[in-house]
Amino acid sequence: MTSALQISELTRADIEEFLYSEAALLDEWRLEEWLDLFTIDCLYEIPAPDLPDEDPGETFSLIHDHRAMLEQRVIRLKKPTAHAEFPHSRTRRLVTNVRILDKRSDEIKVGANFAVYRMRNGIEVTYVGRYEYVLIPSSDGLKIRHRKAILDQEVLDPHGKISIIL
Amino acid sequence: MTTPEHLVIDDRDRGLFRVHRSAFTSEEIFKREQEEIFSKCWLYVGHESEIPNPNDFHTRRVGGRTVIYTRDKKGDVRVLLNSCRHRGAEVCRERRGNRKVFTCFYHGWAYNNEGKLVSVPDGDSYSPGFDREEHGLHKPRTESYRGFTYVTYSADAPSLESYLADARYLIDLVADQSETGMQIVRGIHNYSMRANWKLLMENSCDGYHGFTVHQTYFEMMMNLGVTPGLAADMGNGSGRELGNGHAVAESPELGMPLMSEEILAATSGRRADTVARLGENHTKKMLNTTRNLILFPNMALIDLNFGIQVRTMFPTAPDRTEITGWQLMPKDAPDALKPYRIDNALTFWGPAGLATPDDVEGLEQCQRGFTSMREIEWSDISRGMEADAPTAVDELQMRAFWRQWNQRVTGEKARTEGPRYDTSYLDGATDDAELQASTSGVTL
Repeated sequence: MTSALQISELTRADIEEFLYSEAALLDEWRLEEWLDLFTIDCLYEIPAPDLPDEDPGETFSLIHDHRAMLEQRVIRLKKPTAHAEFPHSRTRRLVTNVRILDKRSDEIKVGANFAVYRMRNGIEVTYVGRYEYVLIPSSDGLKIRHRKAILDQEVLDPHGKISIIL
Repeated sequence: MTTPEHLVIDDRDRGLFRVHRSAFTSEEIFKREQEEIFSKCWLYVGHESEIPNPNDFHTRRVGGRTVIYTRDKKGDVRVLLNSCRHRGAEVCRERRGNRKVFTCFYHGWAYNNEGKLVSVPDGDSYSPGFDREEHGLHKPRTESYRGFTYVTYSADAPSLESYLADARYLIDLVADQSETGMQIVRGIHNYSMRANWKLLMENSCDGYHGFTVHQTYFEMMMNLGVTPGLAADMGNGSGRELGNGHAVAESPELGMPLMSEEILAATSGRRADTVARLGENHTKKMLNTTRNLILFPNMALIDLNFGIQVRTMFPTAPDRTEITGWQLMPKDAPDALKPYRIDNALTFWGPAGLATPDDVEGLEQCQRGFTSMREIEWSDISRGMEADAPTAVDELQMRAFWRQWNQRVTGEKARTEGPRYDTSYLDGATDDAELQASTSGVTL
């Protein structure tokens, strides 16, 4: 990414490159670098599994992290006392069906599908769903203002511990 | 593995309490629980605020049976077994909605939401001996207490109120938080764990695990500028039996993460209104004390002041549990408070929160450890067994649960332990020293 990032010139390949790099940071547990991808006014959220279309801030959702809590989530996950993730799960993320949904002067909306495989204690769990992103250009490349992971699983069985970043 | 003589050892002479680990692993005991507990006790179905309008319904699994939790067209709350009287298919396949009639798609038998069979296609082909009145949807005994609806599949169970015993005081402390009623927030957490259901009942009222399991949660609070009550040397609270296997762990307030000036004002305003309505002592008990209530057999009602969690846990196998979590809040909570309470609740209790996954990890690790059951047969739950005033970080709450469990499963009579729940906050007493004593676990 160049510093003179122009939304109008961004292609799907640019977006894919960004999403794949983000997925790699997560799979490699480079969470502080991942956090650096977010804006100060960011929001990371996962809707309630039974209300995927509703506002996670107004319903009993799974995640509704503004910047302060997202930082705390990352700090926590890197500690050995984050028991659900000690030792860390192995994860492998497949991000596909990437689409540019909307381009505005200052932001770009992106949709993608995901399958996140999580392996731990000999148990393999697959989370399936789709992402919605709002990305904004910065001198430092694209930044994430809004990242929403919408799960297709309505009953989290056997997915009961969402201790990883989805 | 041979079955031991006792599953629970309640040794008052030595102050020791042990549970045989087969209680967590045995198929035979799992089956006995289905019969003696889940077919006989009162089981939580839902909160009436989930079905506010006539014909609203939710389908859910309660005690292994699939049920329809509905408000009929006259406004009465009902629980119907979701199984066609013809061949057994579920007559309602949606998770929630609003319907007057449930039609089995298999052969088209249709029932109204009072359970009455109202339509049988080509019904003239049945003999006169076929009585439609006898073929309504099965209606298990259903009763509500303060908006919480329960069913029992037993004709012999006592009334719900008598079954709840002193736990009613604790339910009142939640239900009385609003004059306009309490409301389940939309959005349900349905998740599972690879561990026995009773481990989560223990965990739901376990003050002892707080600092070890949830250290990172408390660190998060402190990073955000909040001192947790437990760390502020406010005492260790109390653990009390409530009768029939129900019990509570009460502690000084935990503290309010994510607080802002606006939230502080809304919280103080609500507190002042409550003091005006109920008095200082009652309010302090209600809004400034955390209460981890367990209701036998498989419900927890946890009020951490920043949110109220309703939870059920049903076993599907000795080492598998279906968990449901709901969030309850006052209907008249100020607008600023609603998203704040939701954020705190899901950040603590959600399956993707900063606390619950560590609980589940702990319980799953226990279950893994039970593979050594041949060598290590017993789990220890003796903490605080000889204390005059057991605290929330003792284990009286769990012993109360286990004694009731043992009575139901083996027939050995449950004995009581410790003082009864202190309800002096209802007397309108204003003596702070007295209240201090009651919340720190001293019997008055």
